[in-house]
Amino acid sequence: MFKKYLAVIVAFILIAVSLVILSQSLRRPGSPGIMKKLVFEVTAPVERGIHSSVDSVGGAWKRYLFLVGLEEENRELRKTIAALQGEVNYYREMSLEGSRLRKVLALEDSTVYPTIAARVVGNEGSSPFRTILINRGSRDGVKDGLPVISPDGVVGRVIEASWNYAKILLVTDYNSNIDALVQGSRAQGILQGGGQRLSRLKYVQRTEEVKVGETVVTSGLGGMFPKGLMLGTVARADKKDPGLFQTIEVVPSVDFSKIEEVLVLQTEKE
Amino acid sequence: MAYFIVLPFFAVLLVVLQRTLLDLVFGGRIGIEVSLILVVWAGFHLDMLRGGVLAFFLGFLLDCLSGTIMGLTTFVYVMLFVLSSLLSPRVYGERMLFIMAYVFLCVMLEGLFIFAVYWFIYGTDVSESLLRTTLPQALVAGVLSPAVFTLFNRLGGGVYAGEAR
Repeated sequence: MFKKYLAVIVAFILIAVSLVILSQSLRRPGSPGIMKKLVFEVTAPVERGIHSSVDSVGGAWKRYLFLVGLEEENRELRKTIAALQGEVNYYREMSLEGSRLRKVLALEDSTVYPTIAARVVGNEGSSPFRTILINRGSRDGVKDGLPVISPDGVVGRVIEASWNYAKILLVTDYNSNIDALVQGSRAQGILQGGGQRLSRLKYVQRTEEVKVGETVVTSGLGGMFPKGLMLGTVARADKKDPGLFQTIEVVPSVDFSKIEEVLVLQTEKE
Repeated sequence: MAYFIVLPFFAVLLVVLQRTLLDLVFGGRIGIEVSLILVVWAGFHLDMLRGGVLAFFLGFLLDCLSGTIMGLTTFVYVMLFVLSSLLSPRVYGERMLFIMAYVFLCVMLEGLFIFAVYWFIYGTDVSESLLRTTLPQALVAGVLSPAVFTLFNRLGGGVYAGEAR
C-alpha cells in the first residue's frame, strides 16, 4: 500500500520543501542558513583549486610562449592606471563637493574605511544570477551588506558570508539597486543591474541634463556605499520615452569577467 | 545505499566543474547546464526517490553558490524532474531528436520561470536575458544532450552495478 504511493509522497515532499525554501527566501532575502555556509565551505576550496590550476596553466602559456616580460609589465601598468583613475575620480568628486559646499559648511575629511583584501575564487559568468565567491568570510570581519570594490570601481555587496567565504552580489545583477549620481550634472537616481546588458540609471528627472560619457558614482545615500565610488560611465541618455523620467544606460567601470582581487570596505561602525 | 553516499560528492564535483571548466569553454558567455541535463536524464532513468533527491540536491547547491533567490533553482529542478518522470512511461526517451528538443524546452522553461519570478515579484523585466542568455544556453544544452545522456547512461550503469554487488 505504502510502496504504491511512495513516488507521489516523495514528489509531494520535495516540491513542498523547495517551495517553502523559495517563499522564505522571497519573504526574508539574504537570511543566511547553516546549510548555505556549509556548502560554501565545502565547494569553495574545490573551486579555488580548479581556478588556480586553470589560471596557472593559462598564465604559464601566456608568459612563456608569448611576450615574456611584456605581459607582466602591461598588467602592472594597467593596474597602476586603474588605481590612478580611481584616485583621480575620487579627487574630482571631492573637489566638486568642496567647491559647492565651501561657502556653506566646513566639511570634515571623508572617512577612510578599513579594508579586507580578498581573492575571487568563484565566478560563473554564464549564470543568470551575477554573483562571485571570495575567500574571506565572517572570521575575517566580512558581514552581509558590506560594499566590495576594486581599483576600477564598485564591484557589489556581500549578500552571504560563511566562516571563510562570502558571496558577492555584483552591481550587474538585476537585484542590485544602488543610489547613484551623475558626477557632472549631479542628477541622482538608482543604478539597477542589467545582467548581460548595460546597467540602467532609473528615476532621473527629465529636466536633468545628462551627457554621454559622464561618470556615475555612488551618492552615499542609502547608507550602504560611501559617497564618490566609481560605478561607470553614461553610454546612452534619452528622453524619447514618455513619462516622468529619462532613459539612461551605464557601462559598469569594472570588467567582471577579469576580476581577480577585491577589497571589502568595513563601513560598519563597531 | 551506495547511491546516496556517492550522490553528494558527485553533485558537488559536477556543479563545481560546471561553474569552472565548462564555464570557460564559452568564455563565461554561454554556460553548459550539465546539471539540468542530468535532472532530465534522471527523470527518464531513475525512480522518484533517487532522482528527486538528486534534482533537489543539485538545485540547492546551485542556489547556494550562484543564486540570488534561494530555492529558485531547487524548485525548478524538482519540477522538471517530476515532469520528466511523469512523461517517461509515455515516451521513448532514447531518441536523439526527442532528447535534444526536450532538453531545449526544459532550459527555456527554466528561463521563463526565472523571468516570471522577476516580473511578478520584483517588477523587473529580464526578457532580454531570455534571448541573450537562455536561448543560446538552451541550444547548446540541446545539441550536447545526447552525448551527455550517453555519458550518464554509462555512469548510472556503473553505480547500479556497484549497488548490485
